[in-house]
Amino acid sequence: MKLAVFVSDYRITVNTLERLKPEKMGIILVQNGVYHAAVKENGKTSPILDLNADFYALSEDLETRGLDPSKIDSRVKVVNYGDVVDLIFNEYEKTAWL
Amino acid sequence: MGKLTIGCFASLVGSLNLDFAVKLAEAAVEKGHKVDFWVSGNGTMLSITDQRSFKDYSYLQERVKNLISKGVTFTACEACAEARGYHKENTMEGFKRHSMDWYLASTFDADRVLHIGGE
Repeated sequence: MKLAVFVSDYRITVNTLERLKPEKMGIILVQNGVYHAAVKENGKTSPILDLNADFYALSEDLETRGLDPSKIDSRVKVVNYGDVVDLIFNEYEKTAWL
Repeated sequence: MGKLTIGCFASLVGSLNLDFAVKLAEAAVEKGHKVDFWVSGNGTMLSITDQRSFKDYSYLQERVKNLISKGVTFTACEACAEARGYHKENTMEGFKRHSMDWYLASTFDADRVLHIGGE
């Protein structure tokens, strides 16, 4: 199964994500979840980014929070709402919301 | 083109989840997809008519009306609405009210489902 997981919070443990074992996983960072793409704590990037997945961050939510889309982690692709629709329909079969 | 069913649970007007879900619905419609949109719990507040717009505060009523005019089916959990004192007479025109069976049926014939839980 190809699974797209929406991560909408920053203070989320990676445990739930680690338990997911889809054939292919995409993590779409939205709302406060976009901080995972930009914030370092004690010099370390978010552990979410170490998971075996493709990463996306919603541009509007980055900009709303004053985060420059061109300066986020290189593992994360910046997408807009239209791109998210395409990911849902064309790249993944199921979705989950965290 | 496919059908996307969005279920938004327990989000008040002004919540990040409702804003996200409505904007996603707009993007899906823009790309030619059919969208069903279900709200339950506090999300039923989205169905109330005569919402007032304030600067710097989320205001979704016009966007919802626009989406309804484009064929998006918005449905509120009737029991959740009634429990909060939202009655049929103060429900936005075109916003349906049903039991959760409606949501279940919509998810069964959808190509994709996004179920957004409570905050």
